Amino acid sequence: MFRHTPLRYAALIVLFSGAVFTAFTAGYFGMEILTEILILAILVLALDLVAGFGGMVSLAHGALMGLGAYAFVALATKGGLDPVVAAAAAIAITAGTGWIIGAICARSHGIYFIMATLAFGQMGYSYFFERPFFGGDDGMVGPGRFDLSFIGVDLNDGRSFALFCLALLGLVYLIAVATLRSGLGRSLTGVMHNEKRMRALGLTVWRVKADVFGISGAMAGLAGVLAAQHIMFISPKMLHWTVSGEALVVVILGGLGTLVGPLIGAVAFVVLKHELSHVTTYWHLIVGLVLIAVVMSRANGIFGFIEARFGPRTDRMIQSIQTRDDAKEAVKDA
Amino acid sequence: MTHDLGFWTLQTLNALQLSMLLFLLSIGLTVIFGLMHFVNLAHGALYALGAYFAATIASTAGFWVALLVAPLGVAVVGMALYGGLISRMRKSGPMAQVLVTFGLIFVLLDLSRIFWGDLALAINTPAALSGRVDIMGTGYPAYRLFIIALGVAIFAALALILSRTQIGAMIRAGVDNDAMAACMGINVERLFFIVFCVGCALAGLAGAVAAPLLSVTPGMGLEILIPTLIVIVIGGLGSLKGAIAGSLIYGFVQTFGAVLLPGVASILIYALLAAVLLLKPVGLFPAKG
Repeated sequence: MFRHTPLRYAALIVLFSGAVFTAFTAGYFGMEILTEILILAILVLALDLVAGFGGMVSLAHGALMGLGAYAFVALATKGGLDPVVAAAAAIAITAGTGWIIGAICARSHGIYFIMATLAFGQMGYSYFFERPFFGGDDGMVGPGRFDLSFIGVDLNDGRSFALFCLALLGLVYLIAVATLRSGLGRSLTGVMHNEKRMRALGLTVWRVKADVFGISGAMAGLAGVLAAQHIMFISPKMLHWTVSGEALVVVILGGLGTLVGPLIGAVAFVVLKHELSHVTTYWHLIVGLVLIAVVMSRANGIFGFIEARFGPRTDRMIQSIQTRDDAKEAVKDA
Repeated sequence: MTHDLGFWTLQTLNALQLSMLLFLLSIGLTVIFGLMHFVNLAHGALYALGAYFAATIASTAGFWVALLVAPLGVAVVGMALYGGLISRMRKSGPMAQVLVTFGLIFVLLDLSRIFWGDLALAINTPAALSGRVDIMGTGYPAYRLFIIALGVAIFAALALILSRTQIGAMIRAGVDNDAMAACMGINVERLFFIVFCVGCALAGLAGAVAAPLLSVTPGMGLEILIPTLIVIVIGGLGSLKGAIAGSLIYGFVQTFGAVLLPGVASILIYALLAAVLLLKPVGLFPAKG
């Protein structure tokens, strides 16, 4: 089960205050980077939910994000729906698609699961690439951002939009934690550790996988809706498998199965990418080397390394404080 | 158009040519996976490297020298990768292997951009194969026929080696149960090394023969990776039969889909892959039952 250790709380507080601080101090470019990080963070949380806690390493999440973006834009511009309604419908569509993909792939494991999700993702990419209705490889122009003027918020302002994304990221994080703590999430972790035993216990394994994949798909769809509003333009590139691959890199870089780690990974990846692309056009080379180094080091990403290094110490500290308190209380009681 | 015999001949040959190119790539990948349980996503990058080596060598020493030397060069790179990275990743899970080789794709991609630049290179087909051959009333490029013949020859050679020689028996034993094969006195680690190098050389060969056909670009390895993975997953991992069956299925579905059902062609092959995985989750002809 997913637990919040003191270290995880500390990391969350640092990340959150860092985001708020950046939102109120950064210029235009910094705000764009912050928003990019926040949207990527939603996507990688969705991926960590299935890969880190269910062992379902998906290469379809980029496509699910792209599907959300396309459904949102098409429903809002061609269907004439209100953007908020269109977004809700788009998220419902990606949730349904995610559920179906999860149900179909539930029997596959390991490399076969990766390939099956890859196939579905690339199917979506090819579909949108070739349909003139969706603009083909030219993509589509988005309908603009949500109109939140009734509560006095103008999302066309970069800072408001960044804070809006931050709020939604917080919501997604809470949903992920709630999912993992529910019976569904515990069943999922059980399936990851021993699928046969869970089946023997009477669990319908494919339903568990499909349900969590559906929730994860909804999150990826939300990331797509936000991405479409952020850059106001979508193209089939969003669905390409390399987007999913990069999301997977971010999850691993941060720390698989920790939820907090992928958030750190998203910050590290986007900042590294922007800083390096200033210096050299070969930033992929450096990202590749960093990735190889991180995986070869056998630590569970950046956050996994921090947890292994400092986790026990902070736990001991908290514990000693607690026992001291308990001792005091015992003295008082006596 | 579809009632014309020439059309069918032409498209069948096109499909065969694509299949054979994919076969050269997928056989290395699938046997490496079957034997070592190692997922090498950088296989496509080795193919691109083969094409670059061929383009460089062909410009000075001619095509035939390039066709021989490029695979050897790629095998040397493969040896270096094996010694530096892959032998250390053998014991870790498939996830870590996928990621390390994914990182390797980035590295090799940018290294080839640094050495050869972003622009596409082109190499000419050799003079002996630049003409057309008349097949049942249809003129067909001789070079493409050469690729088909090469693929068939490699397939025949590998089938013979795997089924009739001692090293073939050792490889089959290793794929079937590597721990037991080691107990029987087979040096499995050395076997891994040999198979890995041969697989890399075949990827380099595929790159070298593809170079005159396609333009040589840094992205070509990434483009071919997905079709190669589809081939080995449809065929089933680890077996020669699976690799050739998967290659033929991919080649024919892709080629005929593109001319007969242009609207859905690109989706067709992914739908087929999904269907295969749904019905037979481990592919059509897996090495292990």
